[in-house]
Amino acid sequence: MIGSRTLHAVARRGALSALTLGLLSIVVFAGGQLLPGDVARSILGPLADARAVAALNHQLGTDAPPLKMYLHWVGHLLQGDMGMSYAYRSPVAPFILHALEKSLLLAAVTSVIVIPLSIGAGIVAAMNRGKWQDRLITLGGLSLTVVPEFVSGILLILVFGVWLRWLPISANTRPGTGLPEQLRHLILPALPLVLILFGYIARIARAGMVEALEADYTRTATLKGLRRSKVIFRHVLRNALLPTITVIAAQTSYLLGGLVVVETLFRYQGIGSLILTAARGKDYPMMEAGILCVGAAYILSAILADMLIALLDPRSQAAHR
Amino acid sequence: MKLLRRLAKPGFVAGFSIVLFWVLCAVLGPFLEPQSPYADDLMNALAPPSAAHWFGTDQIGRDIFSRIIAGARPILTVAPAATLLATFCGTAFGLITGYAGGWLDALLSRLIEVILALPLIVVALLVLVALGPSSLNVTVVIALVFTPIIARTVRAATITECKLDYVPAAQLRDEGPLHIMFVEILPNILPPILVEVTVRLGYAIFTVASLSFLGFGIQPPSPDWGLTIAENYGLIVGGYGWTVGFAALATASLVIGVNLVAEGIQEALQ
Amino acid sequence: MTPLDHHVAEEFRAGRISRRMFLHHAARIGLLAAAPARAATLGRPGATIRVASQVPAGAIEPLTVSEIGGLVMLCQTAEFLIMDGPDLILRPCLALSWQPNADCSVWTFTLRPGVKFHDGKLFGAADVVATMDRLCDPKQGSNALSVMRGVLSPGGAKRIDDLTVRFDLDAPNGNFPFYVSSDNYNAVILPAGYDGDFEKTFIGTGPFKIEKYTPKVGASFVRNPGYWGRLALPERTEFSFYNDQQPQILALEDDQVDMIVQMSVQGAQGLLRDPDVQIIDFPAATHRQLHLRCDDGPMADKRVRQAIALTLNRPGMVHGLFQGRARLGNDSPFAPIYPSTDTTVPQRAKNIAQARALMQAAGKADGFETNLTTERIQEIPDLAVLVQNACAEIGIKINLRIEDGATYYGDAQFGRSDWLDSPMGITDYGHRGVPNVTLAAPYLSNGAWNAAHFRNSEYDRLMAGYIAAVDLTTQRDLAGKIERLLLDETPVIIPYFYDYIAATGPTVKGAMFSAMSQVFLQDASLG
Repeated sequence: MIGSRTLHAVARRGALSALTLGLLSIVVFAGGQLLPGDVARSILGPLADARAVAALNHQLGTDAPPLKMYLHWVGHLLQGDMGMSYAYRSPVAPFILHALEKSLLLAAVTSVIVIPLSIGAGIVAAMNRGKWQDRLITLGGLSLTVVPEFVSGILLILVFGVWLRWLPISANTRPGTGLPEQLRHLILPALPLVLILFGYIARIARAGMVEALEADYTRTATLKGLRRSKVIFRHVLRNALLPTITVIAAQTSYLLGGLVVVETLFRYQGIGSLILTAARGKDYPMMEAGILCVGAAYILSAILADMLIALLDPRSQAAHR
Repeated sequence: MKLLRRLAKPGFVAGFSIVLFWVLCAVLGPFLEPQSPYADDLMNALAPPSAAHWFGTDQIGRDIFSRIIAGARPILTVAPAATLLATFCGTAFGLITGYAGGWLDALLSRLIEVILALPLIVVALLVLVALGPSSLNVTVVIALVFTPIIARTVRAATITECKLDYVPAAQLRDEGPLHIMFVEILPNILPPILVEVTVRLGYAIFTVASLSFLGFGIQPPSPDWGLTIAENYGLIVGGYGWTVGFAALATASLVIGVNLVAEGIQEALQ
Repeated sequence: MTPLDHHVAEEFRAGRISRRMFLHHAARIGLLAAAPARAATLGRPGATIRVASQVPAGAIEPLTVSEIGGLVMLCQTAEFLIMDGPDLILRPCLALSWQPNADCSVWTFTLRPGVKFHDGKLFGAADVVATMDRLCDPKQGSNALSVMRGVLSPGGAKRIDDLTVRFDLDAPNGNFPFYVSSDNYNAVILPAGYDGDFEKTFIGTGPFKIEKYTPKVGASFVRNPGYWGRLALPERTEFSFYNDQQPQILALEDDQVDMIVQMSVQGAQGLLRDPDVQIIDFPAATHRQLHLRCDDGPMADKRVRQAIALTLNRPGMVHGLFQGRARLGNDSPFAPIYPSTDTTVPQRAKNIAQARALMQAAGKADGFETNLTTERIQEIPDLAVLVQNACAEIGIKINLRIEDGATYYGDAQFGRSDWLDSPMGITDYGHRGVPNVTLAAPYLSNGAWNAAHFRNSEYDRLMAGYIAAVDLTTQRDLAGKIERLLLDETPVIIPYFYDYIAATGPTVKGAMFSAMSQVFLQDASLG
């Protein structure tokens, strides 16, 4: 049950987020205008005729005043039209959607690997607290979170792709390949992202587990005769899930940035590498739409995380009964 | 002394040793490198590790071992500079907004949220495509994005301090706001700033390396590790893994070392 | 036979030109009416050929395409008047024959009858005229303007009858057929009524028709049953687009594709050693121009420029950067593959002692400092480092500035472009079947690409003579003079010309490539 107070909070959050998104759009758009170089020039190539460049610039409307261009852009955005790609002369939206799909797939593979793995590791660390397993998981995990994704990616490729040949190096498969094969190709790209999150989630899971192990209800339940493992399973998991969501939400921005690096390293055409390519090619509409999507994804995930926490938190539930 | 004893845990010591090693490489580079990191040897390009070249050679025959040592300097120049710059600006902003409060605080908080809604890499990309990639611009960009993060921490600490007695006491004495902020409050919030700085340094190294990998950071022909990986990771497929493997290990060791130091300091100060 | 034809035959009989040069020259002036026979043994029909190609950087519009990904798409369904192959011998395609007048200022082309576009309409002179007018019209802003400007203007192509077109050139040009050949990759013949929707229709006269095109992803083509020539052997061709070389290599090794259209040696070293892969390698005129400012600064003295040129280890570069798959460059656009190149000009080699002496003579024994600006493409950053190291040997300290392509080229106008304003820079130049374009814009006193700011009236005169030269002997004679002049003045250093490289799987037969990175699959098969 979501109480009215929670709904109020979420609504207020939503309004603030909309404001943030609006400010973000201005920043992104302004950033796009500051980029040097000539749009028509980058489409036609550096050796194209100067008159041709001027003609194309006029055709694309890149010589209008910035404010007018911004309002034009926002207006279309609100109607769902992300504009026309300067490079491809076709709507931006399908590129963005396709790239988002691919990035979401990668994010899904990452989550499926990282959540069980780190929660499991956190539990193992808590059950062995103080011993070498605990120190290894805690220290090791936290150390791995600071390693740049392209560094861990390279080392993983060298070990698992080239030396042991257990996993395919390429993230891409031919169109029409079945989902299992596609997923297999995404394991190696997902691993650097997994390593970024692993340490944090394991630490939180461990803390939650330790709290649960020492808590009253555990002792009570054990005294009542319930098997320890069952107690742990029911209470701790719920305890661990909440902070996990918090951690992932907190790391979303970090993760989204990591997507740019991982997608570049593995040449995977997700939203991250789309933004990079668009920035390099001065394809403003594509780049701006991509960055806005990333910003919106972050804001949305924060709201989602808040709602999930409100839903799952036993304390907030108790308050409304 | 008590502080030193609290610091001397295995994690901190290991981290400190690693960082010290790379700092020495950065400072003493030319004396430690067996060969010039820049001299090409076209007839010997892409040679695997051997007695003559412990880490092998790259695409134009340069000795990779020497380049790894030389590569410590760029990253250990840019990242700390960016962090220091961010610390100065962030501390100033944090003190001002925490002390002044009101609409200035609200406005800055909103601005901070906007900047933080975007991944650091993306913001850096935006700015660097506009300004052009160079070590100086990278320093400025990272400082730009870290300033609000540090400001946030300093602001929180300042607000807490403002609730204590000595602040209203100073106000009653008619001390100017600048005096109160920088002379009264600042010394008391140094520990959290120090922790924040060491953590930020790790992230700065992380970001500089990532930006170099994406091509927007340190520029050729620098032996910077991120740049080396960017230039050579296409060669992995051909079986020339040594051209990137050592640079990756070097980067990983440095960031882990800095992080262990940061953790150690954090634990010791709590 | 015209007096010109007699002259060529005479040259051949006298042994002054080789058989290959005779064929090249004869083809150029339209002496060869029939195409030499294509590969006699054809493979099995009906295959689906899968190709890895670079992702087109923009819309597939024949007028504006300017990079490999796009031009590969153009030549799948559309055709040219003339085909230029790796041997630089022109072959008839949509034009059956071509004849110049006495001074090569007017060329008359006879077109192939019975050719239909994919929509069923008959091909004729009107389509050629419309296409050519579009290509050379400044208002249309075609990429081909950089080739056509000064050669052909709108209205210069005239329809004489349904199967005859006459080109009245702006100035005499002995190599004009190359300008309307597959060399000029924008010059695919489109219907007269074409209105800019090529990406939807891929309209053309070619052996394949479009099946589906998905931007950034790929394209597929099917056999055209109404083709004027022998029907395409494959039933379908599928192109997958890649941003980078490495995934293409992985795809070929994984048997996800049958061929890679164009590869650089850098990054492909592993594949080049793979015994299961067929490597296609033929010499091309692709090169890098290292320009040195002649009008201002420390390199205004030609002795300094010569000294710099003498510090470079060219054979080392060919070995180290290209694994031997390149030819030595001698600081002029006359690549070894061109028949008109005078090969008696001595090849410049590394000579530090001589370089130092020249610096001394120029009063620069203490060296100087300067900037080298260039773009981050393929091996160019490595070349820049090599130049930096080499110049250090004679006391010149070079600061490198390596930028992305768009920043380097800027607006491509003097005063607004790092490329054209820098004291030293390295620029990439693609392959061309004749050196005309490369001799003009980068070197002429008023050349639009003259980054070296080279102004030499003798050069302008010689170059104009070369362009207008009709017979091969005159061309070679003028080429020799130009080569020697450029070797002496050295406004630009050209260290090598590297080969065109492609790769196919072990069973692939019959695919034809061009040094422009085009691929023609009508005779391709998988065994």
